[in-house]
Amino acid sequence: MSAIELRGITKRYPPREPGLPQLELLRGVDLTVHRGEFVAVEGQSGSGKSTLLHLLGGLDRDFDGAARVLGCDLRAVTDAELAALRHTQIGFVFQSFNLLPALTALENVLLPDFFGDGVPDAERRAREALDRVGLSDKAGARPAALSGGERQRVAIARALLARPPLLLADEPTGNLDASTGEGVIDLFRQLHWARWR
Amino acid sequence: MSAGGVALGTGCLVFFLALGAGLQGVVNEVFPVSTREVEVVVPQLALGNLLGEQKIDDATVAKLRAVRGVAAAYPKMQLRIPAVSRYNGLFFGREVRMGLEVVATGLMPELVGPDARMPFEDHGEGQPVPVVANRRLLELYNKVFAPQRNLPRLTESMLIGFQIPLELGRSFVTARTLANPQETSMQLVGFSERATLAGVSMPLAAIQRINRKYGADADTYSSVLVRAQSADDVTDVAAAVRKLGLEIDDAEQRYAVQIGAAVELVTLALSLLAALITGLAAVNTMQAFYASVRERTREIGILRAVGATRSDVAAVVLAEAAATGLAGGVVGVVLARTVAALLDRLARTGLPDFPFKPPTFFSFRAEHVALGVGVALLAALLGALIPARAAARLDPAKALTE
Repeated sequence: MSAIELRGITKRYPPREPGLPQLELLRGVDLTVHRGEFVAVEGQSGSGKSTLLHLLGGLDRDFDGAARVLGCDLRAVTDAELAALRHTQIGFVFQSFNLLPALTALENVLLPDFFGDGVPDAERRAREALDRVGLSDKAGARPAALSGGERQRVAIARALLARPPLLLADEPTGNLDASTGEGVIDLFRQLHWARWR
Repeated sequence: MSAGGVALGTGCLVFFLALGAGLQGVVNEVFPVSTREVEVVVPQLALGNLLGEQKIDDATVAKLRAVRGVAAAYPKMQLRIPAVSRYNGLFFGREVRMGLEVVATGLMPELVGPDARMPFEDHGEGQPVPVVANRRLLELYNKVFAPQRNLPRLTESMLIGFQIPLELGRSFVTARTLANPQETSMQLVGFSERATLAGVSMPLAAIQRINRKYGADADTYSSVLVRAQSADDVTDVAAAVRKLGLEIDDAEQRYAVQIGAAVELVTLALSLLAALITGLAAVNTMQAFYASVRERTREIGILRAVGATRSDVAAVVLAEAAATGLAGGVVGVVLARTVAALLDRLARTGLPDFPFKPPTFFSFRAEHVALGVGVALLAALLGALIPARAAARLDPAKALTE
């Protein structure tokens, strides 16, 4: 069963200046990803990778074409249903970590618990997630006190809190040095193997 | 910044409301007004009065007691003969020589009630006449008369039991002195708001006895205090009183109402000023929260990415506004109380000791504090409403790339 099914996806942005043509970032994209697959999308900077991920995660619904993610027609569902999908079924990891600076690592991981119906047994799960990314001793640290690699691992732990079947990572190593980036990719492989072996 | 504006507005509001309530309390102390009672008198310009027909006697009092809605009626009678008090001797440690024309009103003992610390009843001729004085009279003595004449300041307990010579039938105006003046004394037995302000009040029976002895009218009353069963009955009672050809003497009530209305008007004006400050604080809150939403666009994107709905985002902004409002409200109340305490201290030390000078000019009531904090909360929430909607409408994908 496919987790992602895109057919003829086209995404246009309004022209940057009047008189210029619309910017077409994605044109007729077809994509099928099955459950349990580990997929990497490659492309040059500005080629639309982030746009595609935002679209897959239901963060951007302004596109042409048909998109089904985990059986959900992204253009047919309501805004609240889409939020519920992101809350329970999709985990996001961003290039720039996107942690809330005022919260500790544990509180950042627990963030999804504040919305929707919360996350069952959230605190235990959050501590487990931090343990899985090797940061159980940094639960009380704020993002400013963590290295880039550690911040990204906190972001991964947050994405894992609701144990979603789909994890979307937008250039997760883009802000990390090569060896830390390799460590993060290894972590993704381990997590994938643990979930889908 | 926005919490500061809310605190200032709330502080002003609570401060002015407390000041208004405090001043109203002073007015009520100077002009105590009962909402259930009216003073019934003979009309000054009634035709029947001119012909000598309109009067308040026992029959009239009985009619008043029978009026629907009347709980009680207490007749009063003035001392209708001249009387003086001459004091020559030691007065609380000072040698005093003074003489006063005595103005007295007779009251029923039930009206004075527990205000009389000693029996307030006529003990008959040759015995000291018990009298009660008005507390406001003592205040005026202590704050005006005593300092001017270098006399000691007195308290109620010092004066109760004190006897003053009384000469009935005598006047400092020779022509008014009667043929057979009599020397007796009056004994102060208590202080009561029921007592006349200009003079002293004696038991009604004593006044009737003295008036009768000197051939003055001892059968008609000067006025009747009518107590209604409830404040709602007063209007009907007043109408019934007028039907009987009598009038309501509400001069003191009118003073109290007029001064009270003036205080309320000033309080209202100042409260409106405070409301304006709070309104400006709400505008300031709106600007601050707009700026905050702009600065935290990416954070809002993160919240949407982890599953927050548009309403969740708006709720987060409004919760922050509520916290700001509550904090501002509490700080404002503390600020108002602090400024009030400082002003009271200044008034205690800097203002002369005038009559009815209150220990505090402010009355902080729970409802004022609740209103202040409520207004602060409302101002902050209203101010944050539009920014909260703007935050909720942010495109999450764009927000994450900000």
